[in-house]
Amino acid sequence: MAKLLDKQRYKCALAAMQTVQAIDRALPVLHSGPGCAQKLSDTNGSSGYFSPNIFPCTSINEKDVVFGGVKKLHSTIDNALKVIDADLYVVLTGCIPEIVGDDSGEVVSEFADSDKPVIYAPTAGFKGNNYKGHEQVIDAIIDQYLKKSDTKQKGLVNIWADVPYQDLFWLGNIRELEKLVSELGLTPNTIFGYNRGIDNINKIPEAEFNLLVSPWVGLSNVKKLERKFGTPYLHIKTLPIGATQTSAFLREVGEFAGVDKEKVESVIKEHEDYYYYLIGRYADLFLENRVINKQFTVVADAQYALGITKFLVNDLGLVPAKQFVVDDTPTKYRKEIEEEFKNLNFGIEAEVSFETDGYKIHEEIKTHDYHGYPLVLGGYYEKEVTESLKGNYINISWPVQDKVVFDSFYVGYAGGIRLIEDIYTVAVQRFN
Amino acid sequence: MSELRQIAIYGKGGIGKSTTTQNLTAGLVEHGKKVMVVGCDPKADSTRLLLGGLAQKTVLDTIREEGEDIELDRILKEGYGGTRCVESGGPEPGVGCAGRGIITSINMLENLGAYTDDLDYVFYDVLGDVVCGGFAMPIREGKAKEIYIVASGEMMALYAANNISKGIRRYARTGGVRLGGIICNSRNVDRELDLLRAFSKELGTKLLYFVPRDNVVQHAEINKKTVIEYKPDSNQAQEYRNLAQAVIENEDFVIPTPMTQERLEEILMEYGMMELADDYKI
Repeated sequence: MAKLLDKQRYKCALAAMQTVQAIDRALPVLHSGPGCAQKLSDTNGSSGYFSPNIFPCTSINEKDVVFGGVKKLHSTIDNALKVIDADLYVVLTGCIPEIVGDDSGEVVSEFADSDKPVIYAPTAGFKGNNYKGHEQVIDAIIDQYLKKSDTKQKGLVNIWADVPYQDLFWLGNIRELEKLVSELGLTPNTIFGYNRGIDNINKIPEAEFNLLVSPWVGLSNVKKLERKFGTPYLHIKTLPIGATQTSAFLREVGEFAGVDKEKVESVIKEHEDYYYYLIGRYADLFLENRVINKQFTVVADAQYALGITKFLVNDLGLVPAKQFVVDDTPTKYRKEIEEEFKNLNFGIEAEVSFETDGYKIHEEIKTHDYHGYPLVLGGYYEKEVTESLKGNYINISWPVQDKVVFDSFYVGYAGGIRLIEDIYTVAVQRFN
Repeated sequence: MSELRQIAIYGKGGIGKSTTTQNLTAGLVEHGKKVMVVGCDPKADSTRLLLGGLAQKTVLDTIREEGEDIELDRILKEGYGGTRCVESGGPEPGVGCAGRGIITSINMLENLGAYTDDLDYVFYDVLGDVVCGGFAMPIREGKAKEIYIVASGEMMALYAANNISKGIRRYARTGGVRLGGIICNSRNVDRELDLLRAFSKELGTKLLYFVPRDNVVQHAEINKKTVIEYKPDSNQAQEYRNLAQAVIENEDFVIPTPMTQERLEEILMEYGMMELADDYKI
């Protein structure tokens, strides 16, 4: 039975176009109707190398449905190669050609001998949301572009985190993860953002291991990399925010990579000293502020819901009300993620709900007793409901509409401090 | 002038839908009826006998080559006895969506004004099975209200007929489409007439007509003619005239009651079909 889904927090798999746009000098080539492309092309901050509004698209119509759109796809790729100078061309298919049965893979394989690589990711909307679409693009890179490497580079680590643009803080986050990993004496390799791209993609098979920092997105990718290249992977489910999780993160990565324990601890100490110096300076604010109450709710994808919940409990000593995971997490991952929400300091456990319907989430927020002003970290959709409860609201998950994010981030020690700044900035402004 | 009757012919692939439809059409023409035949099969062989060969350029080929801004006479040809013949056609085998192609073609026919007031009958000759929504187009949106299923005493033909009935029942709930009966295109199988009668009864309909097997049909096909045109005095020509008469007079239109697989097999067992499964005499 069809039902209404209110305030959905994701797009269809074709929005994996954003993943391609996050790779420097990579170009999405859409095989879809013009409407699909138009709807997906409004992301802030993606008009760099190639505009989100300018990209090749087959713009298929009824004629292409009846006769198949493969010829149009062929000419679109052909012309894209001629007129747009890119390093990697990624064909993304929408629902129509996938239903009609266009053999897009076959068309793409005809470009195997072209000067630039052309690959294809089946991203029909009915296959799932853009979290799955993101995985499809990475899969396509692994399956169709990467080749096994004879050598492994000692200390080289591929870092995979969540979905670019869906996570507005993606760029700052991945850079901070790189920084943390490199402080352990390892060499990070990531493929997204400024000054990364095809050269970094080429290095993927040479890595000593893959580091996945995400509750579930990308797990199938690192498993595939293990099968294809024999590269082991370390799966850290919690995005490290603040000292507790970041120190745990560094210890886990250090141990997996065989980094000397003393070295790991000295890196941690240096960071923690500064971190707690900052916290100490503002202890009065934390102790005396009566606006930030103890109970909070996070409404975000699994990555942020888990990362922020752990941070607020372990570092700030807040108490979790119900947490909402809104990314339509595949059922097979849910139990493990639920367990992570129980794995908090001070014997605290957080109740978590995998809920995609904004209406239901808001009803629960409205009826819960937060014992004071609720603290809600969520999408822009949560602004109104939080204000109606006189709560404190911070926009951290998609859609983010009350701030411009260039390369801000919440990851690591520095990211934790940023998040505290953002939360208490809201608090101190209340009575100004 | 009588009301236009739009009729869709369904049945298992190779059962003789096109042959039966065209010969039936020739019979109706002799009764002075004005008939249009719309082939809804990518193979585009539904009007071959009426046109004296595959002389017809299909709607979809025309759209592909000339675009949608075309005149009706580019896609509608006049055949035997003033019948109007259209072939929907389809994409090349293995690409595109033939079902959507049929929807496109029929929409185009409507837009170009092919359904004129002087028509008495429109036949839609639909391929094989109702495999997807596109092939149900002729019975959707209030087009064909009457359906005949061509079948024979062969097991797979009856499986298909039962399955098609499920599609009809589905559309009957919302639209006015009804099953007018089963037309048997005989394969000379033992107890075929009894079996088809029992099968039709179980479906809640009737065996409209039993067309016996006769080699003259094949001879006529080789000569690209209907039997009525090729050998007007033959027994088989008379059979098709009788079929036409049966269609004209038919007033029994029902929502079919398709049976379960088990019940279908029971009926087949009852008429000795299952034991004789590999002992057909054709």
